[in-house]
Amino acid sequence: MNREEHINKLVEEAMNSVNDVTRAEAKPYLLTRIHARMNREKESFWEKAGWFIGRPAVAFTGLFMLILFNAMVIMSNKTPDVANTTEQTAQTQTDEFSYTVATIYDTENTQP
Amino acid sequence: MNQPELVVQLQQGDESAFRKLVDEWQHMVYNTAVSIVQNEDDADDITQEVFVQVYQSVSSFKGDSKFSTWLYRIAVSKALDHEKKKKRKKRFGFVQSLFGSSGEEQQHPVEFNHPGVQLEKKEKAGELFNALNQIPEKQRIAFTLHKLEGRSYQEVAEIMNTTLYAVESLMGRAKLNLKKELSKYYNNNIS
Repeated sequence: MNREEHINKLVEEAMNSVNDVTRAEAKPYLLTRIHARMNREKESFWEKAGWFIGRPAVAFTGLFMLILFNAMVIMSNKTPDVANTTEQTAQTQTDEFSYTVATIYDTENTQP
Repeated sequence: MNQPELVVQLQQGDESAFRKLVDEWQHMVYNTAVSIVQNEDDADDITQEVFVQVYQSVSSFKGDSKFSTWLYRIAVSKALDHEKKKKRKKRFGFVQSLFGSSGEEQQHPVEFNHPGVQLEKKEKAGELFNALNQIPEKQRIAFTLHKLEGRSYQEVAEIMNTTLYAVESLMGRAKLNLKKELSKYYNNNIS
């Protein structure tokens, strides 16, 4: 048998090696392991959420957004609205808040 | 219990139906996974993932295909995803090793021994499994489902969502490519 024939024979043997293969069987207690995996996945949801929030990119983006929002609020409050400003005089304040001077005389003489 | 009844019970969240499903299909899912990823621990992991996914998404099963076909599709896609993830990890480990840090590098054993192969044929089958890793993905899946899972061409076509003619063609090319790879291997390793 020459080399080529020998190689062809080996190739055929390899090709036929799985002709009568039987099914590989899963390890025992698969159902128990599946249940354990399901429970693990439930528990790890919050861990995953924490991990996601804790990622530098997410954390810094969140922080930046917070600072930006605060800056926007501060800037919008700082701008004076000239058109709507009103000068409060002592009289308008008195009218608005009904300032009165309470005296002992007033409280004791409730009857007319 | 037939497949449609089992599906209805699963969709109603029946725990005993899920137990029956795992009992009945675990070896099929495991054998498909182990034949694709060629690693018993990884196949065990994939088998668990497949059943978790079935439990979570059985409500979306509309019955357009046979339940077993649906299960095979999940098993095949999970196994392929696992392989891709592993390859990515390997590449990342390689890049890390270039920069001097010790990346976690997990290697497949050089030769995989399928547990269902007869003892006297294990060596030859190991060489065939190595060659199987060198051929295109679709050809490999068709070959695996037909030769290692014993599915007919028609069933393989349904699982792969293709035509019977396409499967015949894939099988023909798979055999041809496997023979080429094996010839190359023996040419290099036999004096």
